[in-house]
Amino acid sequence: MAETKPIEEMSYKEASQELERIIRSLESGDLELEESLEGYTRGVELLKSLRSRLAAAEQKVSVLMKDIDGTETLVPAAPADDSDALKL
Amino acid sequence: MSAWNLTGTAPQAPAKGEDALSVSQAVELAANALDALPMLTVIGEVTGFRGPNARSGHCYFQIKDDAAAVDCIVWRGTYAKRSFDLRDGMEVQFTGGFNLYKPTGRMSFVARSFTLAGEGLLRQQVAALAEKLRREGLMDEARKRPIPAFCTRVAVVTSLSGAVIDDVKRTLRRRNPLVELVCVGAKVQGEGAPAELIEGLARAAALDPAPDCILLVRGGGSFEDLMTFNDEALARAVASCPVPVVTGIGHEPDQSICDMVSDRRCSTPTAAAESVAPAIGDLIDLLHARERRLAAATSSLVRGASGGVGALVARLEGAMGARLSQERRVLDGLGNRGCLRSPGYIVERRRSEVAQTADRFERAVDRSQERFAGALEGMPRRFRAATARLAAFGHGLELSDARLRTAGEGISEARRRDLGAQAAKLDALSPLKVLARGYAIAYGDAGVQVSAHSFAPGDALRVRFADGEVSGTVDTVSDRGLSARGDEEER
Repeated sequence: MAETKPIEEMSYKEASQELERIIRSLESGDLELEESLEGYTRGVELLKSLRSRLAAAEQKVSVLMKDIDGTETLVPAAPADDSDALKL
Repeated sequence: MSAWNLTGTAPQAPAKGEDALSVSQAVELAANALDALPMLTVIGEVTGFRGPNARSGHCYFQIKDDAAAVDCIVWRGTYAKRSFDLRDGMEVQFTGGFNLYKPTGRMSFVARSFTLAGEGLLRQQVAALAEKLRREGLMDEARKRPIPAFCTRVAVVTSLSGAVIDDVKRTLRRRNPLVELVCVGAKVQGEGAPAELIEGLARAAALDPAPDCILLVRGGGSFEDLMTFNDEALARAVASCPVPVVTGIGHEPDQSICDMVSDRRCSTPTAAAESVAPAIGDLIDLLHARERRLAAATSSLVRGASGGVGALVARLEGAMGARLSQERRVLDGLGNRGCLRSPGYIVERRRSEVAQTADRFERAVDRSQERFAGALEGMPRRFRAATARLAAFGHGLELSDARLRTAGEGISEARRRDLGAQAAKLDALSPLKVLARGYAIAYGDAGVQVSAHSFAPGDALRVRFADGEVSGTVDTVSDRGLSARGDEEER
């Protein structure tokens, strides 16, 4: 587990990829017991974080606007209307 | 109507019967009028086209617009030089002139050449451009870049005023709200639309951080509406965009050149939005699966490790147990030895050996006595049997003795009688008797001599008489002379 970037700073994809890597190395069975327990702990944390991100995910939408002086600015925009969403 | 006043004269109303024309004259007049028309170019829709006539090779069909229709002929030679096949519904531009077929009076437009017009022309141009770009390799599968299965940041280049942008937003919010959307507005149809879209693509690609992909989308529309996306410059911009481009233009059957050169073509804007990220339900399922795999892998590792420890413990115990029980067996064996178990063991063993030896000895003596006794037992009988035979011999001997005595007496009696007779004879013949009668026996050195010539003078001479002997030496030897004999005797 060379990579110990704080989970909060990772994108969903990065965290998801690291989780997959950890699981693969655990499944390969090549790890020392200590390493595998470390991996397990990290895996559980990643899993928790990923799950909470999925649960709390809110669409982030912005619009690229060009100012008069030509600079580009990202202007936050309203997410999609969810009145038609299927509430689960 | 004045355009049709080609003869320059006002139509004359037929006055009376003498001014009437024959049909041939009238048709001839019309035909001439049609021939006087210059070469015309007519746009119309092909209808009733059934291909070249099987026998003649000429094509007979109609062209029409909303209000009118006219027969149309394309001679075989003209059709052979065509650049596309005519089909019903095609918008085609025919160049030629009218002709009137006098036997039937039917008027036809005879096309000397024809080209596609309107949408047909556009489609042909689009197909040519597509072929050109294909030849350049812009549509090669190898050029197409992979789109990440899960795009985190996606730019959408489309009109910000239409329903399409909302469709994309809604689709992605429902499917996967984790995808960040950046909307870049551009005109999608009409004048200047390709340029705006090209600029939109460039702006989207220049975003920092760069998006994982760009969605170039537009809702459904007419062929002309979608022509923007057949623009060559836009197509080249899509192909050369540094960020992978996903297109979703129009509806399912529509395919623009941008679709052909993009990295992924989806049939609609919604499908394009769906293709850039996995559904959140799938992600949840994936997380569940990963959770199970994580737990399974870890617990199997722990189980494996503890199993390994257990096996080591078992082996250790087994090895120690085996060793100890081996030692125990050796010790037990030693402890069970008699010499250790009882102090009298050695004496006992010796005693037992002696007793056994004594037994053996006694038994041996007994056996030998028995053997001798057995041997002696037969002896008296055998002896008796042997002596019994001796009695018989004794008896035989006695008999023989008697017989011998008897026989011997007989033999000796006869012999005795024979011997008496013989003795008497012998006595009668005895020289001694002769000697008694006066005869003597002369002996030389060699015994009795019966010849005088056995002697020589000087020899010793012995003469036996009945009562004794005389000895002397021979003096002379003579033949038969008794005198001599007397002499000798005297001497």
